[in-house]
Amino acid sequence: MEKTDKKNVLVVDDDDNLRTVLIDKLNMSGFYAIGASNGEEGLEKALKTHPDVILLDIIMPILNGWEMLKKLREDEWGKGAKVIMLTVIENTEAIARAVEDNSLAYLIKTNESMDDVVEKVKTMLRNN
Amino acid sequence: MRKSLILTEHITISSTILIVLLGIVLVSFSLIKDVLINPYRYFSTGLSLEEIQFFVVYTSLIVICVLISFIIYLLLTLRTRAELMILKATESLDASREQFVKIYDGAPVPYVTLNDKGEICNPNKAALRFFGGVLKEIEGKNLFSYGSKEDLDKTERFFQYYKSKVPINREEMRMIIKDGSVKWVLLSVFEMEAFGGSGRTGLATIFDITEQKQLDQAKTEFVSLASHQLKTPVSTVKWYIDMLLSGNLGELSIKQKDYLNIVFKVNEEMIDLIDALLNVSRVEIGSIKVESKSTNVIEITESVLVELSSQIEEKKLSINKQYNDNLKNIRSDPKLLRIVIQNLVSNAVKYTPTDGVVTISFKDSFTGKSIIVSDTGIGIPKSEQDKIFTKMFRARNVHDLKGIQGTGLGLYLVKSIVETMGGSISFISEENKGSTFTIKL
Repeated sequence: MEKTDKKNVLVVDDDDNLRTVLIDKLNMSGFYAIGASNGEEGLEKALKTHPDVILLDIIMPILNGWEMLKKLREDEWGKGAKVIMLTVIENTEAIARAVEDNSLAYLIKTNESMDDVVEKVKTMLRNN
Repeated sequence: MRKSLILTEHITISSTILIVLLGIVLVSFSLIKDVLINPYRYFSTGLSLEEIQFFVVYTSLIVICVLISFIIYLLLTLRTRAELMILKATESLDASREQFVKIYDGAPVPYVTLNDKGEICNPNKAALRFFGGVLKEIEGKNLFSYGSKEDLDKTERFFQYYKSKVPINREEMRMIIKDGSVKWVLLSVFEMEAFGGSGRTGLATIFDITEQKQLDQAKTEFVSLASHQLKTPVSTVKWYIDMLLSGNLGELSIKQKDYLNIVFKVNEEMIDLIDALLNVSRVEIGSIKVESKSTNVIEITESVLVELSSQIEEKKLSINKQYNDNLKNIRSDPKLLRIVIQNLVSNAVKYTPTDGVVTISFKDSFTGKSIIVSDTGIGIPKSEQDKIFTKMFRARNVHDLKGIQGTGLGLYLVKSIVETMGGSISFISEENKGSTFTIKL
């Protein structure tokens, strides 16, 4: 990963189109964004590049979002990694966990505009 | 065998008495043999006083003899008659019992009887098939030991109910059977009059509902999968149009923007429709579970109003809030309540023309808590008010308006959810004046 003063964002989503548009928007909004198409790839990249925020889809093949999060939290760095879960439906589990975990937020794809997504990433970065 | 012995005895006694009686009557005929030989002479010439007296005494003696014989018959055959009655009753009882055993044993539903320790006593054939073992493997085992490890708490609770003679009525639980597989059952246990008098007997019925449970689970999983599969492409469209409209990919002409706005709007309607269809599916499968927790109705309402703020602003609507602090913390399901409030308020905003008023009030009275949403909108025509809660229904005056889209599912969903939560919904409405919807929680 390039050494840059931009904040790094990792987008983990198995849908190529969604992943592309998220990366494009984040790059246009002053971030440095890269992607991963499943949980396994996402975990590998996260542990290697230590992104400032991770956007994590839940339903994915190979390793789903919750499974990846669990493994991430087992890592020393990963314990405090900032993660925003991406869901398509109101997910009570996501909400409950987000309430308990300060480094965890969630957003419902169909409810948020692209600007909302960027705003959520900025908010996450502001939280300590 | 016993019956024939008693019958023989009974007939012997009866016959003896009859024979003795006949003997007495026949012997006594000798006293009146003259009358019998030549009855004509007696009755044509008339009878003397002595002869009349004699006949009266004779007849009375015969009657007395018959009566005494009858009494002796009753006394002597008292025991045999009683025994015959008991035998008859026993035979009838045996026949009923045999019939009951046939029905019990042949029933398609697993039945077992339990002793006072909850141990299985008489598993019927269906129970043997269900548990998957032979009689001696199942008899004597405690019924409540078959509970699966996921339902240990439940099984222990039911066992306590049984010990305290509390009936168990169609309770769902999981059981592990001989081959190690887990079965979902509906368990009922009731007290029965103990056969033979000692100890108590419980009758347990075990309905295997594993297939229904699997079907329900499959339906729920399908709805979740459909939800994900349908919403992913609409999210994609939403965000791509968003990027184009924001100018991130270059300046657009006015016409291009207009067209894209329409695509965006239609896509948003599709998102609403998918949400509504999926919620309706959940209602119809029965997979909507009410999760009661601390709920802030004011907070939910405020967030709904924020969501609708652009529409409210565009139509210059006044929102009149009559909140009640008692509804800041109530026991309800916030997720479900949000769907209800969102639908009602969004309808009010949608169907109220420019400069109209939407009033949201909360009430807390001795009859319970209510949420009331009223508007000064187009109202619902009287002739269509009875259909307003049906699926896919939109009143005709809505069709007359341009640009107001709706799924026709909102009120059906609201009513189903409210009733699932144990509440009720009612409304009053007048065309071109407005509508007021009241939810009683």
